[in-house]
Amino acid sequence: MPKAFDISNPPFDRLASNEAETLRASLDVAYFRPGEAIIGRDAPVDALYVVIKGTVEERDEAGLLALLGPKDTFDSRALVHDQSGHAFVARDETLCYLIPRKTALALIKANARFAAFFYREISQKLDELANDEEARRYGSLMNAKVSELFLHAPSFIAASDTIEAAGHRMREIGSNALFVRDGERIGIVTGMNLSKAVVLRRQSIQTPVRELANFDIVSVRPDDFVSSALLLMTKHNKRRLAVHDGERFVGILEEIDLLGFLAGSAQVIAGRIDRASSEQDLAIAARQIEAQVRLLRRQGVKVEVIAEIVCDLNRRLMSRLFEMVAPAELRTSSCLIAMGSEGRGEQTVRTDQDNGLILEGPIESDALELFRNEFSGALERFGFPPCPGNIMVSNPAWSKPLSDYLADFRRWIAIPDQAAHMNVAIIYDAQAFAGNDQLLGKAKTALIDLIRGEQAFLAHFARAIDAFETPIGLFNNLITSEGSGDALDLKKGGIFPIVHGVRSLALEQGLRETSTDKRISRLCDLGVLRTDFGRDLKQAFRFMLMLRIDGQLAASAGTSGTLVRPAHLSSMERHLLRDALQVVKQFRDIVRHHFKLGMF
Amino acid sequence: MLPRVLKRLLHQATLSNQSFRFMFDRPPDDDVVVIDCETTGLNVRTDDVVTIAAIKIRGNRILTSEHFEAVVHPDSEMGAEAIKIHRLRQSDVEAAPIVWKVLPSFLRFIGARPLIGYYVDFDIAMLDKYILPLVGIELPNERIEISRLYYERKYGDAPPNTSIDLSFAAILRDLDIPALAQHDAFDDALMTAMMFVQLRDLAERGVRIARQRTSPVFNPTGA
Repeated sequence: MPKAFDISNPPFDRLASNEAETLRASLDVAYFRPGEAIIGRDAPVDALYVVIKGTVEERDEAGLLALLGPKDTFDSRALVHDQSGHAFVARDETLCYLIPRKTALALIKANARFAAFFYREISQKLDELANDEEARRYGSLMNAKVSELFLHAPSFIAASDTIEAAGHRMREIGSNALFVRDGERIGIVTGMNLSKAVVLRRQSIQTPVRELANFDIVSVRPDDFVSSALLLMTKHNKRRLAVHDGERFVGILEEIDLLGFLAGSAQVIAGRIDRASSEQDLAIAARQIEAQVRLLRRQGVKVEVIAEIVCDLNRRLMSRLFEMVAPAELRTSSCLIAMGSEGRGEQTVRTDQDNGLILEGPIESDALELFRNEFSGALERFGFPPCPGNIMVSNPAWSKPLSDYLADFRRWIAIPDQAAHMNVAIIYDAQAFAGNDQLLGKAKTALIDLIRGEQAFLAHFARAIDAFETPIGLFNNLITSEGSGDALDLKKGGIFPIVHGVRSLALEQGLRETSTDKRISRLCDLGVLRTDFGRDLKQAFRFMLMLRIDGQLAASAGTSGTLVRPAHLSSMERHLLRDALQVVKQFRDIVRHHFKLGMF
Repeated sequence: MLPRVLKRLLHQATLSNQSFRFMFDRPPDDDVVVIDCETTGLNVRTDDVVTIAAIKIRGNRILTSEHFEAVVHPDSEMGAEAIKIHRLRQSDVEAAPIVWKVLPSFLRFIGARPLIGYYVDFDIAMLDKYILPLVGIELPNERIEISRLYYERKYGDAPPNTSIDLSFAAILRDLDIPALAQHDAFDDALMTAMMFVQLRDLAERGVRIARQRTSPVFNPTGA
């Protein structure tokens, strides 16, 4: 029995140890020469294959679907349904483990989690993965170290110092707790101790803090787990712990910061933005938004929820900045809009500024010019890079009166060119962030009315879904030269076709929703998409967004973060990515058929 | 050819235990067996077999699910130490009876199939030490040497002075076979089996294994 068979490779990691032994005992190994069929199309299948070495092509009648490499498992569908709709052909000298069908089916029957892998529906598989991930990420959060938490810097006062001195010191260092040195003893005094002494016990502000300090302190070490800090607080009923590295006190851990770490502090940032009184305050909050994405992702929060939270924070940020920078007349007579992914609420990690301004009517140009530059400049300082396509408030083409926009729309639709299609796509995704949102409403109504029935325009518009190939070809590189930096452009090959295809269908139907997710739901309601396909499409979309967030978080500065290196994914993720790209392929066919793109 | 045929006939005649006549049956078409022994050392006279593994190959299938694996010398390292210190070969007292218990089923497992191995002559010589007293003859099976199949595919047409590397690791590397845990008789046998099916296919298709060039190739593009 091959002990070398990797049981940690999903889905086999879900087997209990006795089940794994049964599996290993049943394994054979088969060799296939280049070009040899491993499974014929519609041929009965007697085994589940796991690639040891070599490359296997998965084909349907239309051609190559995917390339499989070491540790990939096939064909789970055929195993359950007795025959495969796809053919599997060895591309080069290939060795595979063979799991007899009987053994695999017995394991599927006995182990529900293992069985889940073989379900046909991609959405079910994805849910399984999400659950696994949640457990893993929550675990990782509790396994973080105390040193990763926000700690208040230690500040010492003498026990003989007065309440008054302690109060001043707290204000100076912006902390609510101080260490108190009383000979050998070390204690902690808090702001609440001071207030209670003075207000409730009417003690003099000249009282030494020795009388109110708490010398019964509990310490943790910086390399202790967050979970043990939480346990200590609960056990000793403490709101704060001293952090001691074995030689000296290095900080104070407040309960609120610990809970903030576990719960995320989006609401804290939101409050900070709303209360901001200067651009400086906003800049601080803006920097914290970025950190939230990482934290939320680590907490296992679903990608669509992260996007929603981040979008909400960005909206607050821009709206607050708008209030600060815009002259009073502009605030009621214009509408600040966010476009592109920001407008769809799908931006997580900051990419660039995609914003504009719709004015009610012409405005005195000096004041406007000043505002344009100030607003875009401030966002740039907050860490929103300028838009390479110059779609931002500082560009007069994207900050002008409503009537000028309407004239643009008519021109775009009458004489459509590449730029016209892009502009329509951008403005159709726009969302009002500040000011008079009725202006955007009017613009969109006009846009939708102009396009209604313009089938030729819509067809040309939808054609962009074919601009990039589904990156099946790139899989080749990943498998044959694993780890050599081959990557796959998820944005072009997977995310864009879904976003744009859905946008085209939504525009045709005149939908007012901006998020891809909501547009898909509405298209299902209207019967444009089948409900079960809509569900797969949403799941595929979310899965790819999640991979993209991970890529962006991992990417060092300077890369776009839309490239995914399949060699770095787990084989389960690669499997799901293939499934997701299959859905993209199907969806393209649907859109192509819908708009009769075959004519071009 | 003749001496081998004669030897075979002689063996058949001298087979002391006639219940082992199957060793001379016609082997099933398409069937071969990979064998590998783990031993305490490389000296056939003084060293011992620790484990025996054998895996059948039928066509292009390596039948790991019906393999043979037996430990005949359970504590090899201590045994080797014991030889030096006590001048008494522990295996003489312990291992030999196990070998004789295991060998009949091993012989039935391999039957008359050709035996494949990496330096297979050594493994067979080790086994023959025990097989000869048991059945009165040495293993009559045809032998297939993996390093020779590899040599033919890679160096068969090599010019003189080509440096030749027939190491197990080199074969794995050239055939792109993942190294298993190794130096466990079963894993070695499995890797040898993987080598065999691929080398046999390469030979059938007349495909050669590329040799690294020793001198740099002139590249006109300068890249």
